[in-house]
Amino acid sequence: MIRTERDGGVLILRLDRPEKRNALTPTMLGALAEAVVAGAGAGAGSRAIVLSGVGEVFCAGFDLSLCRDDEGALGAMLTGLSRCVRTLRRSPSPVVVSAHGAAVAGGCALLGGADVVVTDERARLGYPVVRLGISPAVTAPFLRLAVGDGASRVRALDPGLIDGMEALRIGLAHECLATPAEAEARAIDIAREIAAKPPGGVAATKAWLNDIDGSGADADADAGLAASLGLAGSDEQRERLRELWAGGGKR
Amino acid sequence: MSETLATLVIDGRIATLTLNRPGARNALSIDLLRALHGRVDELGAHAEVSVLVVAGAGKSFCAGMDLKAVLGDPAAPGVLLHLLAELTLKVRALPMVTLAKVNGAAIGGGCGLACVCDVAITHADATMGYPEVDLGVCPAVVAPWLARKIGAGRARRVLLCGGVMTGRAAFDLGMVDRLVQTGADLDAAAAEVAARLATGGPHALRATKALLNELDGSGDGGTVRRGADLSASVIALPETQALLRAKFDRPS
Repeated sequence: MIRTERDGGVLILRLDRPEKRNALTPTMLGALAEAVVAGAGAGAGSRAIVLSGVGEVFCAGFDLSLCRDDEGALGAMLTGLSRCVRTLRRSPSPVVVSAHGAAVAGGCALLGGADVVVTDERARLGYPVVRLGISPAVTAPFLRLAVGDGASRVRALDPGLIDGMEALRIGLAHECLATPAEAEARAIDIAREIAAKPPGGVAATKAWLNDIDGSGADADADAGLAASLGLAGSDEQRERLRELWAGGGKR
Repeated sequence: MSETLATLVIDGRIATLTLNRPGARNALSIDLLRALHGRVDELGAHAEVSVLVVAGAGKSFCAGMDLKAVLGDPAAPGVLLHLLAELTLKVRALPMVTLAKVNGAAIGGGCGLACVCDVAITHADATMGYPEVDLGVCPAVVAPWLARKIGAGRARRVLLCGGVMTGRAAFDLGMVDRLVQTGADLDAAAAEVAARLATGGPHALRATKALLNELDGSGDGGTVRRGADLSASVIALPETQALLRAKFDRPS
């Protein structure tokens, strides 16, 4: 469910479940974290990572259908997501995400692990899951680093989605291309440019940025995860998920 | 010599500090940094000044750290970087409002000097940015100031991708606050901004700036000094030394 490709010094990881808009499962999240650890860093030969998704859409979020039969599935996905974001953030190799088509809920939260985000004009980004009684708190510590306190408050509380140009305006994305295919191609180009730079300075700079913005430490990320986990299985959430499935699962 | 490397002119409430090493695009040498420290210290005796304009003589604002001059001396990068670190802290702590008039290239440490100022103005064709990583160097001293200026997320993208950008792109990123179309328009526009800033009540301006410094952690000298040590250690790496020698065409 994670497709791995080597392109010179660039490691390309693609979420590979296009028939489900690359919806995340605990297994996929675990595989993603493992692939980042195994494939990045000087020893493994890659100097930059691209995270993308197969098909028209980067990632539609968690596969919530798993929660129907498994009470623990949401918690497992939240924990797996938090681990993925931290693993990406702490990888010595800079991470470029192609947030093409859609980066929604857990998919948008994955951008927390990115150093650079590329999207496209018609992409849809945001956190509609508060409607389901699920809190995006798990991503809040990283969202505020990306867009600042004012915009992160809006994005975490407003279940509406924004397009790629608005994501660019608030700083959730750094470049916005015309189409999903161009977005992914540009993400790969940026990663190639980074991979061609002297590795010592790049690695020191990324580690320093993690140091000064606090994202190298666990305190905030732990608090965000705990807040999201604290709601897992709440009455409100059960009721709203039941309504979702009664309506055919369409959000 | 240091008297002329950096000049300070005071005209009523507005002072102008000029980097005056145009033959070297105002690159920050140890001597220039010491001269800048001297001029900034002199400002302490001028309580009447409300606004400090920082500018570069000639076509450039500041081409960045003068690494060429320190290549032969292993101790020199640390001295240079700590002088820069202390200068950024000193400029940020000034009680008056600071306005960077980015009249031309503002690169690396020079861009950092612009970003440590409270307000920055430039023209559309100026060149700004942080190409440190392209040379194997780590922009650790200037990173905290850029993060305060444009936010941690955008700073991450700018510093890890290296390269330079136009004044217009810098304006779009929030690295500068006012943009004019050409260099010919800059003097008048900067004078207008400085004059407007100087209309603020001196006590209100000082109190407001002090609060902003407190809120965003600008007094945290420890991080900037650790950044100087880190940056010097990366310059000392054999990989970086080889790249810098190649760039400056010097035998090892």
